[in-house]
Amino acid sequence: MKRTELLSRILVITGILIVLAAPIAARAIGAQGVIEVHGRIAESGGWTPSTIRVQAGMPIHLRLTSDDVMHGFAIGQSDTPAVDVLPGQVTEITLTFDKPGTYAYYCTRWCGPNHWRMRGIIEVTGEEPVSPQVTTPPLYLMLNLDIDAPHPASVTLDRIPDAQYGEQFSALLPAAYLTPDYYRSHSPAQIYLDLRADPALVSLAGSDIWDLVAYIWLSNTTPEGLAEGQRLFAQNCAACHGETGGGNGVFSANITALAGKTPANFSDPAITLGASPALLQGKILRGGMGTGMPSWGPLFTDQQTWDLVGFLYTFQFK
Amino acid sequence: MRSELTRFPLIKSLLKNRWPQMVVLFVMLAGFLFAILSGFIGTPVGNRNFGIIFVWIAWWAVLILVAVPLFGRGWCAVCPIPLPGEWLQRGAIMDPPMKKPRWFNLRWPNRLRNIWLQNLTFTLVALFSSVILTAPKVTAVVLAAMLFIAIGMSIIFERRTFCRYICPVGGFVGLYAQAAPLELRVKDRQICLACKDKPCYNGSAVGYGCPWDVFPGGLTKNTYCGLCMECLRTCPYDNIAINTRPFSADLSKPPIRMDEAFKAFIMLGAAMIYAGVFLGPWGTMKLAAYSVGSLAWFGYAAAFLAFIFGLLPALFLGAVGTGKALTKATTTLKKIFTAFATALVPLGLMFWVAFSMSFVLTNAAYILSSLSDPFGWGWNLFGTAAIPWQPYLTTLLLPLQTLTLIGGLLWTARTAQKVGSEVKVTPAPVILFSTLVTIFMLGLLL
Amino acid sequence: MKPWFFVALFILAGAVITFAPLPVTAAAPARRTFRVEANQFAYAPAVLEVNPGDTVTIELVSTDVVHGMFLDGYGLSVTADPGQTTRMTFTANRSGSFRFRCNVTCGALHPFMVGKLQVGKNRWLWRAIGLTVLATLAILILPPNFPKAETG
Repeated sequence: MKRTELLSRILVITGILIVLAAPIAARAIGAQGVIEVHGRIAESGGWTPSTIRVQAGMPIHLRLTSDDVMHGFAIGQSDTPAVDVLPGQVTEITLTFDKPGTYAYYCTRWCGPNHWRMRGIIEVTGEEPVSPQVTTPPLYLMLNLDIDAPHPASVTLDRIPDAQYGEQFSALLPAAYLTPDYYRSHSPAQIYLDLRADPALVSLAGSDIWDLVAYIWLSNTTPEGLAEGQRLFAQNCAACHGETGGGNGVFSANITALAGKTPANFSDPAITLGASPALLQGKILRGGMGTGMPSWGPLFTDQQTWDLVGFLYTFQFK
Repeated sequence: MRSELTRFPLIKSLLKNRWPQMVVLFVMLAGFLFAILSGFIGTPVGNRNFGIIFVWIAWWAVLILVAVPLFGRGWCAVCPIPLPGEWLQRGAIMDPPMKKPRWFNLRWPNRLRNIWLQNLTFTLVALFSSVILTAPKVTAVVLAAMLFIAIGMSIIFERRTFCRYICPVGGFVGLYAQAAPLELRVKDRQICLACKDKPCYNGSAVGYGCPWDVFPGGLTKNTYCGLCMECLRTCPYDNIAINTRPFSADLSKPPIRMDEAFKAFIMLGAAMIYAGVFLGPWGTMKLAAYSVGSLAWFGYAAAFLAFIFGLLPALFLGAVGTGKALTKATTTLKKIFTAFATALVPLGLMFWVAFSMSFVLTNAAYILSSLSDPFGWGWNLFGTAAIPWQPYLTTLLLPLQTLTLIGGLLWTARTAQKVGSEVKVTPAPVILFSTLVTIFMLGLLL
Repeated sequence: MKPWFFVALFILAGAVITFAPLPVTAAAPARRTFRVEANQFAYAPAVLEVNPGDTVTIELVSTDVVHGMFLDGYGLSVTADPGQTTRMTFTANRSGSFRFRCNVTCGALHPFMVGKLQVGKNRWLWRAIGLTVLATLAILILPPNFPKAETG
């Protein structure tokens, strides 16, 4: 064998080894201390891994990537902003969980009718025992509402109830009607009946009473809360319920085919005015109802849920 | 009109010495293996995977826009696919060949000494192209399969039977190489006739016998010369030359055979179908082409095959037949058919150039990002990983494509006229056929 | 007549076909709104026709995953999530045929997700067809061995 032959053989073999081994080695080194999370649409498996285990107080480094379409990543009930998870690209984030417990992580960009199934769990273990959190149960449970029961309101409106108009009668309104407790546990239709029966308001016309109902709603919201509710609705609800709440979102046909029911139409007064904030809270938190409505409980904070509920009435009030 | 490049000592020694070509081949082989690796272990997202982007955007752009039009089979000279098999076959990378063959060394069956099998492999790749083009794993499987089939064939058969009879790319590169302004030819045929040992074909101590199973002394067309430069090294009389020449020089040579004629239809038709499926606004067609195995895909496949093997040849046959009838020619229809099919070579090449322009310019941005992050693992080797996607030069696209297509038509029409004067048949119907398909292609692209 | 005379004639005709100003159809600029649904891997409608000078609004509605729209020639782009329609408004002040393409990776065939905005008539296509026919005529009229006959 001549020297050239030997040299070329050495070149070829080392070259092939480098080309094949170097990326694999580099990947193994780069993978130390990080968790690679792959997102796929729910139909192809959702998140991998779907359970991440971590020590309380220890930072975890996540490398997020999508294997198909655009996804997003956020931790439920947390203030950490969502990040985009792009196909074939990597988003790195570092998270630290101080308290042991179970956290949900979820996809934030709609990736098909089953987008909401794209969820995972972060189990945080630590020294301190996972104490059952002493939180009060949500209002709909305290009120023992049957959130699956139909709740039609038989109301007739001459025009859209207007909180600004309602404000001019607010001097007549007994203060008890403005408390959050009252507002949250009564549907607008019930509030209307209560106000109508109240001797203090006997002088008002029906449409004025409705304006007062809208006023009670607006008094229990803030502009920031409504804006947050609008953002949450656009990001999470509009794909099925429609951007104007009409129950005709881009996936409504899928929902109808699957569940035999269309998504709730918030522009229908009978539906929205018959639902109390607590009832809407229950539907949002628990979901289900055999309609393909996801359970948002693990994802939204208490405040976010109420912001969203407050926003839903904008489809009836102004 | 011809000018010998090998008369320049620098060019000649660069080609004659094994090392320059071998170094390029090593790099190509490394890139090829890297592309297979990235297909298997990189991101499954095609437009972020080195394998997909470098094979179907970068390599394809270089091949169809530069290499084939200017250098003919120039790509084959540096293609890494047959290398491992060839090294095994020879038992050497650089050393002179052994006296006795190491393996079976069978001759390729006579019945298959044509490019029908290549027509078949290209058609198969073309039918599954929307999956192959977009799924990194599938691309990796196809590339690896080519590598291993080439190895297997090198062990069973003599020379490079994979390149000549199986490679789906080799068939059309050879067909279009006839139009290229570059050729390898002997300087003086008399020397070859007098040469006893014919080391260019049989090999010698300084080089291998023609891997492409071609006797250089008999070369009249580029189709099956792989520009591997072995004969340049082995010829004891310094009788081999690399020449530049006018475009389409081989197209006035003896007409192509039926297998080659159908290659011309396959390429012409596939360019039109791809322009419609990939660049057109019809989503149903894209989905049908992608959903391999579904009823819609079978419909697509049937339409694909019917267009390429039915409609196009039938229309062409009609044109040729009309020409024959008008001229009252006595030559057989089959001969006229294949002779005129030669004329479709420039048109097909220019269809592919025009189609590839939009395909390449709109996806070129991915080349930069996948260069920095070949596996989609978040690397940033050259700082270009995050370059946002955008199409390049799209304002120039339509005028460029128009010029390309009309240029192809003029070229084809001129070739048809030459063919016509040789077979004594009026070329007008064939020119009309070419004009109509050009207008159809314009409609698809503009 | 000499072939070069024909060559000059054909080049002149080609220039006329390529550059001749065509009568502008007197359509008053209008406001046009298109609701374009995007799904894997197509736009519906995929071909939008407007007149030059129109104020065009494209409402992009994604019906499966996040899609986008990059408009060639105008260099404009938007992205839309399902449930979050986005709008792109512009004055169609450039005539011709422009492709629009998805600019958010939306699956395997994403690079081939395209539609077409047609501003005015597709004059370029007609000019190109004219040039093609002219080229055919030139080939048929000029002697087959031209220009070699001239040079000998």
